[in-house]
Amino acid sequence: MRSTIMQMINDMRNMSRILLAGFLVLYLGDCKQAYEPPAIRGGNDYLVVDGFINVAPGSVTTIDLNRARRLSDSTAVGIPELNAQVAIQSKGGSSWPLQDAGHNGYYVSQPLTLDISQTYRLSVTTADGRKYLSDPVPCKPTPPIDSITWSQPNDLTFSISTHDVAAKTHYYRWDYIETWQHDAALQTPWGVNNGHIYATDSTTQRSHCWTVLHSTQVMLDNTSALSQDLVDKFPIYTIPFGDSRLDIKYRIHVRQYALTSDAYSYWLQIQKTSQGLGTLFDLQPAQLIGNVHCLTNPAEPVIGYVSASTLQEDSLFLYNTNLHYWTHNSPGFGCDTLGIPADPNDFSNYTYADTNWAPYYFDGPTTLILASKICLDCLELGGTTTRPPNWP
Amino acid sequence: MRHSGLHASLFVLSLTLITSAHGQDKRISGDFQGIPFSQLVSKMAAASGYTFYYDPAETDSLVIHVTVEHATLPELLDLVFRGTDLHYAIDPAGRVFISKLFVIQTQLPAEATRQDGPPISIPGDPTQKQEEDPSSKHILKAIEENKLIEIGRKDGKALQGKATLAGYIRDAKTGEAIVGASVYADSSTRVVITDQFGYYSLTLPRGRHVIRISSQGMKDTRRQVLVYGDGKLSVDMQEFIASLKTVIVSAEKTSNTRSTQMGVNRLNIKTIKQVPVVFGETDILKVVLTLPGVTSVGEASNGFNVRGGSTDQNLILFDEATIYNPSHLFGFFSAFNADVVKGIELYKSAIPEKYGGRLSSVLDVSMLDGNSKKWTGSGGIGPLTSRFFIEGPLVKDKTSMVASVRTTYSDWVLRTIPNNAYSNSTTGFSDANLRITHMIDQKNSIYVMGYFSTDHFNLNTDSVYHYSNQNGNIKWKHIFSNKSNALITAGMDRYQYSVSDPRSGTSAYKLGFDINQTYLRADFNYLPGNKHIFNYGVNSIYYKLHPGSYEPVGAKSLVVPNTVAAEQALESAIYAGDQYSVSQKLAINAGVRWSVFNYLGTHQEYEYAPGFPKQTTTITDSIFYGSGKVIKTYAAPEIRISARYQLGKDASVKASFNTTRQYIHMLSNTVAVSPTDIWKLSDPHIKPQQGLQYSLGYYRNFSANTIETSVEVYYKQIGDYLDYKSGASLVLNHHIETDVLTTKGKAYGVELLVKKASGRLNGWFSYAFSRTFLKQDDPLAGESINNGKYYPASFDKPHNVNFIGNYRFSHRYSVSLNIVYSTGRPITLPLSVFQLGGTTGLFYSERNQYRIPDYFRTDLSVNIDGNHRIKKLTHNFWSAGVYNLTGRQNPYSVYFTQENGQVKGYKLSIFGAPIPFITYNIKF
Repeated sequence: MRSTIMQMINDMRNMSRILLAGFLVLYLGDCKQAYEPPAIRGGNDYLVVDGFINVAPGSVTTIDLNRARRLSDSTAVGIPELNAQVAIQSKGGSSWPLQDAGHNGYYVSQPLTLDISQTYRLSVTTADGRKYLSDPVPCKPTPPIDSITWSQPNDLTFSISTHDVAAKTHYYRWDYIETWQHDAALQTPWGVNNGHIYATDSTTQRSHCWTVLHSTQVMLDNTSALSQDLVDKFPIYTIPFGDSRLDIKYRIHVRQYALTSDAYSYWLQIQKTSQGLGTLFDLQPAQLIGNVHCLTNPAEPVIGYVSASTLQEDSLFLYNTNLHYWTHNSPGFGCDTLGIPADPNDFSNYTYADTNWAPYYFDGPTTLILASKICLDCLELGGTTTRPPNWP
Repeated sequence: MRHSGLHASLFVLSLTLITSAHGQDKRISGDFQGIPFSQLVSKMAAASGYTFYYDPAETDSLVIHVTVEHATLPELLDLVFRGTDLHYAIDPAGRVFISKLFVIQTQLPAEATRQDGPPISIPGDPTQKQEEDPSSKHILKAIEENKLIEIGRKDGKALQGKATLAGYIRDAKTGEAIVGASVYADSSTRVVITDQFGYYSLTLPRGRHVIRISSQGMKDTRRQVLVYGDGKLSVDMQEFIASLKTVIVSAEKTSNTRSTQMGVNRLNIKTIKQVPVVFGETDILKVVLTLPGVTSVGEASNGFNVRGGSTDQNLILFDEATIYNPSHLFGFFSAFNADVVKGIELYKSAIPEKYGGRLSSVLDVSMLDGNSKKWTGSGGIGPLTSRFFIEGPLVKDKTSMVASVRTTYSDWVLRTIPNNAYSNSTTGFSDANLRITHMIDQKNSIYVMGYFSTDHFNLNTDSVYHYSNQNGNIKWKHIFSNKSNALITAGMDRYQYSVSDPRSGTSAYKLGFDINQTYLRADFNYLPGNKHIFNYGVNSIYYKLHPGSYEPVGAKSLVVPNTVAAEQALESAIYAGDQYSVSQKLAINAGVRWSVFNYLGTHQEYEYAPGFPKQTTTITDSIFYGSGKVIKTYAAPEIRISARYQLGKDASVKASFNTTRQYIHMLSNTVAVSPTDIWKLSDPHIKPQQGLQYSLGYYRNFSANTIETSVEVYYKQIGDYLDYKSGASLVLNHHIETDVLTTKGKAYGVELLVKKASGRLNGWFSYAFSRTFLKQDDPLAGESINNGKYYPASFDKPHNVNFIGNYRFSHRYSVSLNIVYSTGRPITLPLSVFQLGGTTGLFYSERNQYRIPDYFRTDLSVNIDGNHRIKKLTHNFWSAGVYNLTGRQNPYSVYFTQENGQVKGYKLSIFGAPIPFITYNIKF
């Protein structure tokens, strides 16, 4: 029996050799195509209502109205919704209008003192006459921030602590604004304007810059399961070890909002949907149902959840030297310099063609030392040269 | 008798002189009206010269009204005996034997019925030889079918009461047990179906019966039996070779209307092999997908959906071993090597009580026993795979084995494609099967099976996916008596899968998962009489799951290990059922299964604040349970009832009611490929899924039972089915209960099937309308999916049409055509991008509100058999064809990805062009 099998295997081998040669080369086709069903091609410019009714005495409410963008739009911000009529309405029937003073989609109220025992809602009538109304929401006073703390080693983590003795808050949301100073690696008193070198002053200096950035994540916590309404060192933000934002001075300004449980659920979904796409660890798509509705067309989705609360804020400053072993770039590190002859007739005349270079200093009357522009002009790395208020 | 004998002897001589031999050519004319049979005999004897032997007592009531003109004797006798139970036989010597109920054999049998036990056939049966000379087959069959087999001990008493017949139905050529063959007596509507070992047991009134045996792909056969008492009757069936010139009229293929089972589809491997599939590789699952009520979510997706159930609600058994991933190459091939598959059974509604643990269906794939008569084998070469298969007797007629291996050389194929996306990809699989069947004695047999499969692929990325099934079991079948038998099964199943990225230095990782189960089952059958068949038994499965571990690979890797703790549980059940034949027309199957599930330690269980959504922020405590501690027990009865009512000869109605429970859940992130699916046991937070199904069917056969039709409707309710919260994260989730929510579902549909199983043109057409909706009913979910309304499940595909056709031009050439259409599956689309609270988010549609494009595909293949010479060393078989003839770019998956700040959608179609294929198979 064994020999028969061996013989058959040999037969098969011979056969397979002939057959392999005859195989057709497979053509699998170009299998990836753009997929753009009519549903996503356009028209999904849903109204986005971003903001909250600030019920702290004498405070201003700011609501940002904009439009959601098509998937294929690469602009970073929403399209402002202009010429809308926006108002806060109380259950009692009072109404307070918001004006788009800057014509940028930001609708701002007068300083108001609202009765926090009332419920409030936001009404929006867009320029094309469509009416929107949010559900009435109760006012939730936000307890003050107890502390913002930071911790190391290595990565820097900011944590927040707060509590409500009355144990009525439970649901918290935070956002923050970070501001950091980033100086030019080389300091120069000179600037260039239209081929002329001039001495800068505090308004034209390019040595000290500040960048302001708003948080892009949603930070939430919920204490409803705890025996006390206490948030103890909740980590809200972590900066990787050695990040240049802490090269000199850094400030984090945290804003705290109290939420209702429904609002919390909404923000929780926003938190999830804003995370990555197209990865192995893809998340289940979140369908957002906020508390703003279109009265003109009830089927039209509206994005946003309008809450009414007070706002609590706090800031924390950090110097590079406060931190444990954080990198600090020494002045001039990695900067090249280049000497060129100065114009003997008019030292302010500057004609050097390569715009990657800029005047650094005059080495005597005949030589102008240039350095890479990126080392001299802090704006090359973004930000503004205006010192932020209360910057130490 | 003596009287007619005398008559005859007078004429034999004279007629011989006149006709010189061939008596049968003698023509008879005459008008015979109102005369008794004895008188006709006299006349015929006088005219033809035959000698008639008959019992006047059996024929005295017969009055003849026949007019013939120039008829032969057989023609005349056919007319005379039409509508009676009288038969005749004419021997070469011109003797005519008239008998009641059976035909007298005028030749000595060349082969006797195979014997399995104590004397069952005519005493003095001359031979047990199993010689196969094809030229004699027809005669053999005729003899076997007409011979009267006496069963049991003849005790001289009157034939009263009942007796039980039992035995094996096998393939005459290979000795392979035939599963799912129908065995029934002409005198009763009771149909019994052979079990996975080809074993049956049938209780009959003592006396004369014709036992009919039919099975798909085999020639119908019958046995004449005279039952004195309990006994064995094993029958070997011949393979059905389509005769091209004659129409087979089969009165026996009524099993679909007679069987009490409903919602069952049975296919044998021969039928499965006729269906054209991509790359010419016979694919069990692709064929299952053409059955009414079975759909899949994608072209080459893992698993299938039955009657609106999810893919994890199917119990897939391969020779009793549970297969968790039934696919190779992310769904292009099924994990079952067709060479070792004997057939499949799919239970969609009336699930027998012995099965449990899954909600929707049971797919039972049976494996060959191995040729018990001689060694044979086969090999196959296709563009992507090669196979080798061998089977034969280790000890003739006692121990047989089957072994097969299959492997790909797809890496080689991918490298030849001039496109980096393919040539940088690797993919491959292999699988191996082994089965040994050992008949210890008449009452005991042992079956051992082993299965191993492995897959790996990486698709132009650094991530390597890998998964593997490993299964083994041993079964002992013991026959206590004809009325009672048992099957004890013990085995282990393992499914493991992983994703790893070993190449990228500091971030090299391996993400691994596995499921292990050890099981013990004891199934008993008891058949006390004709009216009842009792099934009862116990079974138990011990689960050990590793739901995820994330580990560094290599010394440089900085990956921080993260392991989700192992889970363990015990699922046990005790069941009992009765198949009760109330009357000739009404039969009822009723059973109950009591299942108990214990979730066991070691486990760290999180407690959540009562009355709040389960979120990480509402965790109040965690409790540690030690090893083996019972943490949570779920127990409930499952009801299985079905009934059949016969409407005349060719039609029946059936109804069933079923409840099922499922304790293991698959959590699948639908965007990604399967090796990231998470399997999760029910635990204190995740309740078992419950299913309930009502179904009703009408079955009707046409054209002498060659065309079977059926209509079935069903309505299903599903409870505690898991869906995911928005933004759910499933991988490496230590508290998965915070990301899932329970839904209740409803599914309903209609299934039509028209099937022609034999003839030149054979195949089936099926249409199913089915809908599945889910509705969130978890008050503590913390969110509301589609406002708490019913929404379509992700596998809801309303319209499904399948056509499978095969046309044989000759014995060597046939053409197969396959047409598939289905509605595209639902999808949740991102509609726009927004900015809120500083965050960029995607605004999605309501869940499953949109659908991907419909699916349509046509495949054509031509099959050429080598010549049919018996003495040839090898037989070969060619199959060539085109997959997706119309080249439609059916979507395999639709996904969205962020590119340069834009969110872009892509449709991936894998077989977006006609794909020609050619396959060669060799058999020896």
